[in-house]
Amino acid sequence: MRQVGIVGVGHAKFGKTNGSFLDMLCEAALLAMDDAGAKTGRKNVIEQVLVASMGAGMVNRVSGAASAVVDALNIRPAMAETIENGPASGASAVKLGVMAIASGMCDCVLVIGGEAMREVTGWEGTDFVATMLHPTAEYKYGLTLPSFAGMFTRLCMDRFGVESKDLSIVSVKNHDNACHNPVAHIQRPVVLERITNPAYINATNPIVADPLRQFDMCPVSDGAAAVLLVAKDKQDELGFAHKPFIRVAGIASATDTHVVANRENPSDLLAVRLSAQKAYKMAGIGPEDIDVAELHDAFQILEIEESEEAGLFPRGQGHIAARNGDTKVGGKMPINTSGGLKAKGHPLGATGVSQIIELVRQLRGEAEGRQVEGAKTGLAVNFGGFGNNVVATILTTK
Amino acid sequence: MEQMYAYKCTKCGKLHHPRYVVCQNPDCDGREFTEVELGGKCKLLTWTRVYNLPEGYMQPWLHFGVVEFENGVRVTGQIGFDEGIESGMELLATVGVVRTRSILYKESIDCKETGFVFVKP
Repeated sequence: MRQVGIVGVGHAKFGKTNGSFLDMLCEAALLAMDDAGAKTGRKNVIEQVLVASMGAGMVNRVSGAASAVVDALNIRPAMAETIENGPASGASAVKLGVMAIASGMCDCVLVIGGEAMREVTGWEGTDFVATMLHPTAEYKYGLTLPSFAGMFTRLCMDRFGVESKDLSIVSVKNHDNACHNPVAHIQRPVVLERITNPAYINATNPIVADPLRQFDMCPVSDGAAAVLLVAKDKQDELGFAHKPFIRVAGIASATDTHVVANRENPSDLLAVRLSAQKAYKMAGIGPEDIDVAELHDAFQILEIEESEEAGLFPRGQGHIAARNGDTKVGGKMPINTSGGLKAKGHPLGATGVSQIIELVRQLRGEAEGRQVEGAKTGLAVNFGGFGNNVVATILTTK
Repeated sequence: MEQMYAYKCTKCGKLHHPRYVVCQNPDCDGREFTEVELGGKCKLLTWTRVYNLPEGYMQPWLHFGVVEFENGVRVTGQIGFDEGIESGMELLATVGVVRTRSILYKESIDCKETGFVFVKP
């Protein structure tokens, strides 16, 4: 198969956008194009643009975003498609871009992920995200993603002995990492004692979806991120010879039951396990070869359970690893050096692309203040629905 | 009171909830189902109390739970009481209004949707 890699990355600051949804997408796209040295107009070499967004049509009243972006960037007549796969839209779009190049259909693809979720109220935003649940068995009851995360956490507490404090430890670590990431939504350290002390925990860290508290889940963010993919055999010809080629060694997705209650074991994340296994197989490596990982911690319990399902720690040991500091920068297996969804933010369509950008920064040695020394291979897990559609990506400099 | 159902594959007998178009048994390709009444005694597997409810819910919080019936079918629903909720407890699955949607078309129409509400036996 043709080798496909990343030569340009662009990341708008996550948080609250001052412009429109399309402006935000274009900002990230231009940052990625400038990073690679890609030109617009007659000198454009981008043949396809993929825009990942879960709800631009629903939330921002913008449909056909990819067509609009191609025109705004003056890179017509590039092919343009908008991709929707819930919160895993970003990595799904990257996967489709890799497929387009690997197949020989294209040599250069721009992937942009974005979401402007703060244009609506929190209640509307919560409802919009919940629309990915099963319409009659889940959504109509008022169930939301935090509801499922709360019930999932309780199962993991019963099965593996995960404690509420373990979730706070993961949260504190990710906030610390985000302080070194200039594009993170919340660049503020959190003191463990402040969010766990029983004397005032209900004031500093109130319950949202029992047993989950505010610091056990990600904020609502706007944001956009973009990567430029090229074929290795065309890198020089297209004018990107000067940029490091971060190879997409493996990329794969897997699905699980739409109805969470119907899973054989509701405390397993089968789609995480299967997508990671497929990505490892494609890359010809195993979890022991991963130097740094970006895992989809929309809820802190997910970082712990995904780290196990992806094989980075034995089953039931993820929370112990977090307690021991193994997942910090400088630990045995650094996870979410970007700050994760917890502190960097989670603009749904942007998240999968943003995770991949953090891996590129790490593998290029550009993650100032949070650099994992000698990182050569990284894993990203982008989690859609409540785990019913997951994309795993492995990047490497090897 | 409305009745909730499991859907039994006429080919292999597997019970489903909700209704599917193809049997979920990996060794069966059945596409026809008969309705089997679903309700009564069940066991609470996990639960949560949620404070950030979506648009359209006026309550300060709601309790949700996943239960397993004696026939092995699992469903998610609302828990109809506030105190003494514990994983593993026995519950009774009843049917109640779980959402009221206002449909605005010339005049406002309240559309009540029913589903599982779990109560103490």
